[in-house]
Amino acid sequence: MNELVGYLVSGVALGSSFALIGSGFVVVHRVTRVVNFAQGSLAVLGGMLSASLLGGRLPHGVGELVAVVVCGAVGLLMGILAVGRRGTPPLISLIVTLGISLLASAAIIWLWGQDPVSPPGLSGSMTILGASVERQRLLVLVATLLTFAALALVFSRSYLGKALTASASNPFAARMVGIDVRRMGLVAFALAGVLGGLAGVLVAPTNALSFSSDLPLALSGFAAAVFGGLTSPLRTLVGGLCLGVAGQLTAGYLNGSYQTEVALLLMLVIMIARSKSFVAEEAK
Amino acid sequence: MSRLLNWKTLLVVAGSVAACVAPLVMADLTFFMRTVLAAIVVTGLSMLMGYAGQASLGQGAFVAAGALTVAIGTTRLELPPLVALLLAPLVAAAFAALVGIPILRLQGHYLAFGTLALLLMVQAAMSAFDVLGGAFGISGIPAFGVAGTAFSGQLPYAYLALVCLGLVLTLTHRVVHSRFGRGVRALAGSETAAESAGVPVGRSKVAVFALSGAYAGLAGALSAFFTPYVSPDSFPAVESFTYVIMAVVGGLGTVWGGVIGAVVISVLLQVLNSVSSQPGLPPTAGPILQYATYGAVLIATLLFLPRGILPSASAALGAGRRRLGAGAGG
Repeated sequence: MNELVGYLVSGVALGSSFALIGSGFVVVHRVTRVVNFAQGSLAVLGGMLSASLLGGRLPHGVGELVAVVVCGAVGLLMGILAVGRRGTPPLISLIVTLGISLLASAAIIWLWGQDPVSPPGLSGSMTILGASVERQRLLVLVATLLTFAALALVFSRSYLGKALTASASNPFAARMVGIDVRRMGLVAFALAGVLGGLAGVLVAPTNALSFSSDLPLALSGFAAAVFGGLTSPLRTLVGGLCLGVAGQLTAGYLNGSYQTEVALLLMLVIMIARSKSFVAEEAK
Repeated sequence: MSRLLNWKTLLVVAGSVAACVAPLVMADLTFFMRTVLAAIVVTGLSMLMGYAGQASLGQGAFVAAGALTVAIGTTRLELPPLVALLLAPLVAAAFAALVGIPILRLQGHYLAFGTLALLLMVQAAMSAFDVLGGAFGISGIPAFGVAGTAFSGQLPYAYLALVCLGLVLTLTHRVVHSRFGRGVRALAGSETAAESAGVPVGRSKVAVFALSGAYAGLAGALSAFFTPYVSPDSFPAVESFTYVIMAVVGGLGTVWGGVIGAVVISVLLQVLNSVSSQPGLPPTAGPILQYATYGAVLIATLLFLPRGILPSASAALGAGRRRLGAGAGG
């Protein structure tokens, strides 16, 4: 029983990082219908930057903040390449972002080498419901919940959020009322950069990141986002938590090395089961 | 137009002669084999992406299926090498069809991620199950041979691969220009329109997917005979990305685009390898150059030459000829 609670708690903590990366996919796809393959690279970049900045004696908080802001700028650059040209079809934009993620790998190896890097985070662990959880993982969970609350508020309450949603649901009508759809796409990419960077900054202290972490990060985030049909932030959060818990349960009761595969299999099953509704969404 | 056609025939003949002579003058054929095998895989992928409009980021999964068929067939089941080679594309095609039936209901980026997930799961299964080689892989694959004879040296493999590439290109040409091929091109434009015109959309997509899987399986089988060792690390994800890059660079939706993309990117990689192994450069220069070139070439092609080398070149050639003809006439 105690074991089970432990897996559940650590699963929720792990899953919240999936959800945070997934939120980057959601923000970009919601507005531009593009899947940003380089979302994992943004997280790696965030983790690496914060490690260097904190190592360079920037105080905690400032170092992380600068890393996240730089990631936002990098996200904007990605957006300019991927959707800056008018009329690029989404699938071609996906392959452009694949190219960007390869370029990012080159830059990361150049600047930080091939070995995994881990910035300092919160140390120690706490006991919740009899299960011991690292404090950094709890920080990830809290930050994720706050981020999703903020996203929900932005999308439903602010003018910018409504303009972003409008560009997604009907680009033509959005242009008619004076929304610059292309600029909204770039805003979405910058926001995704911030979210990706935040995920990297938070995850890196417990899971050291290297240039090759981008693929597993991107896939787990995408898997979470698939729960929400790549458009719903709330269901992405739920999806991420489910995947994290399922992964930890598999690791605990079956075999730790199958954790990723279980997540991937779940993602495939959900994608296929919901393929009809995805097609309907694409057609809209 | 007929002059243009002659030019094309001339180029194809010249390319084929060069490909047949090259193995005789090259000292080490590893690079040559890698290029020809990549060309076989990319021809299938280019057909899938260009004609059927479906992207696969995990073509390596089917290369692995073909290589595993040969590895397990020859070492455990003691099949004759020829039988294993013929079986490999069939197994890969069957595997592609089996996973294609559910996975091809996905579209666009879902399919791209789905195929990538498939590749990662194949890798995981290969290292988890001892039947598929386990963590150590399968070694000791015998040399290829027919009826008691066995290949020695690299040269026969190079020609065997060339013959296979020739077969694959001929088959692709026939398929693309058949009734079935026209149906497939129609569904890439609009599935609904194709469906209403009587194209069996689901079945056609699975068939093209299976055919591209068969090509990949054939390439995997040849590579297993050439390098007699198969392990989960033989099929990294970045290799599957390379196939996509080659397909895009060469030109989607052309029969020869895959070959051109494979040759251009392979030569580029070879040049980069020799540059990065110069003394005085750090050991990370290799991967940095490789990733940077992949990314830059892919992005530059998509943004500035979106149709790829072959269609753009033949369009430019056609325009040039027309201008020449107009100049001569006026």
